Amino acid sequence: MNTMERLFGWRHAFDHPVSLGITVCVGALLLLAPLLIALVNRLARPEPRLRRELWQRYTSWLVIAPAVMLPILAGAAWTILAVTALSLACYAEYARATGLFREKLLSALVVGGILALNFAALDHWYALFAALVPLWAGLLVVAGILGDRPQGYIQWVALALLGFMLFGAALAHLSLFANDANYRPMLLMLLLCVQLNDVFAFCVGKTLGRRKLAPNTSPGKTLEGSLGALLLTTLLAVALGRLVFAGTALESWPLLVLMGAMISVLGQLGDLTLSSIKRDLGIKDMGALLPGHGGVLDRFNSVLLAAPALFHLAHYLLPAVGHGQAARIITGG
Amino acid sequence: MRAWHYTPAADFGLAPGERVKCVRREAGLVASLLLRLFWALVRLYLRVWHRIRVQGLENLPRETPFVLVANHTSHLDALVLGAFLPSRLRDRVYPISAGDTFFAKRSVGWFAALCLNALPLWRRKTCARALSELRERLAGGRCGYILFPEGTRARDGELAGFKPGLGMLVAGTATPVIPCHIEGAFAAWPPGKRLPRPRRLTLRVGKAVAFGDVKDERTGWEAVALAVRLQVQELAAT
Repeated sequence: MNTMERLFGWRHAFDHPVSLGITVCVGALLLLAPLLIALVNRLARPEPRLRRELWQRYTSWLVIAPAVMLPILAGAAWTILAVTALSLACYAEYARATGLFREKLLSALVVGGILALNFAALDHWYALFAALVPLWAGLLVVAGILGDRPQGYIQWVALALLGFMLFGAALAHLSLFANDANYRPMLLMLLLCVQLNDVFAFCVGKTLGRRKLAPNTSPGKTLEGSLGALLLTTLLAVALGRLVFAGTALESWPLLVLMGAMISVLGQLGDLTLSSIKRDLGIKDMGALLPGHGGVLDRFNSVLLAAPALFHLAHYLLPAVGHGQAARIITGG
Repeated sequence: MRAWHYTPAADFGLAPGERVKCVRREAGLVASLLLRLFWALVRLYLRVWHRIRVQGLENLPRETPFVLVANHTSHLDALVLGAFLPSRLRDRVYPISAGDTFFAKRSVGWFAALCLNALPLWRRKTCARALSELRERLAGGRCGYILFPEGTRARDGELAGFKPGLGMLVAGTATPVIPCHIEGAFAAWPPGKRLPRPRRLTLRVGKAVAFGDVKDERTGWEAVALAVRLQVQELAAT
């Protein structure tokens, strides 16, 4: 596949059966969900608050699902643009929640770092991407000195570094995936598994949950829900991965199980990471952009840790993510 | 070891539409950039179109908190008062504007919030509560206000009485009030005219006054309003 086709070739959207399958399933689910909600309302008679939340969540999903899937299907350039927007939205919520946004220089540099990382991904220059992470971290450390106000130095710089690592470096791995000719099924599989992982944990927890997982961090989560999600997500990931990674080293069952378990565990840990941040700040949601969900971060927290892990697993076991694709498409060289 | 101290944005957790109208709004990175850009254009416009003169520039505040106060005859007034403040204060200076004029329409509200950093004060509803919220915010020290105590643009260009709301913001606190006088704005762009004419403007900035020993009650508020009005009148006479 040539570069322009990878970047903008929407005609290739459904080249891979998994892309088509996931799109059809998600579309069908969004169409059928009102019926399911009506059925739940009829049979289980939930209280009005829960009923309203279910409905709000559904209408938010009507926006989130196309906003995530359309850029991925449309082409790698749109995917990277969408990931950049997602990173910036997540960082903005984090910066306003922690107060870091008042440190304008540090905040501007984190934003600059997010843009730089995604540029490196778009350029398909992995060496630049790899170099940017430690070098930009160093830049943030230095930028904290410049105001000559050492009171609070550690706090501000640490907040900036955490924001840069989680919403810049980690999320930008989603952009790196887009350099592969076969990026659509990989990204769709990852995002579907991670989002359903939350749903599985919620449903299993509601029906079988007894023991609290981490009551101080996230009182709603149960050990049973967590294990149930681990089992179900792994099954789903193995089934999808078998198709996505057919003909590669990742095709073997043990590796697929490892991959599925990794996605589930890291997805849940990403969720708990954000819960810890929110608990520490004493807030419930990271924003109010998505009714029923909270902020953008409340919805995408579980991708934060899973994305880089899956990338490096695939990068190590496949010939390489982006193998055979032209490198440094903008900078040349 | 000292515990870390987080202070989320004062308008944290509000939906975008609510944030615009919130008096606790704090500018983020994008808003900061827009504000700097917009006010740079305002300065250029005032210098070129109105050949503005500034007297007493050294009296303008270098730090927050403060309240800048002037006579009000034109929409140009807020621009004139805000234009010459240090740019590092840019995202912490809030013109207090009439909610029903600037925040009733959504598009105008976004413009007022993003380009001017204006905060709404609803003249008819809940004014007292809003003023106490503004007072609290001012006491926090991280903001300065641009305020026209006449409450509206004088339709005849003459200085009207000052409303006690100014006193409600500063009575009993060390917050400096900086009285100013703007000349020529009525001739350049009076109420009712569509576009400003290229008349010369003069901004006179007076010395700061504080009202720490004035009681925070109605008599005190009125005393503050009277005292500041006198200062503005004196500046007008110079």
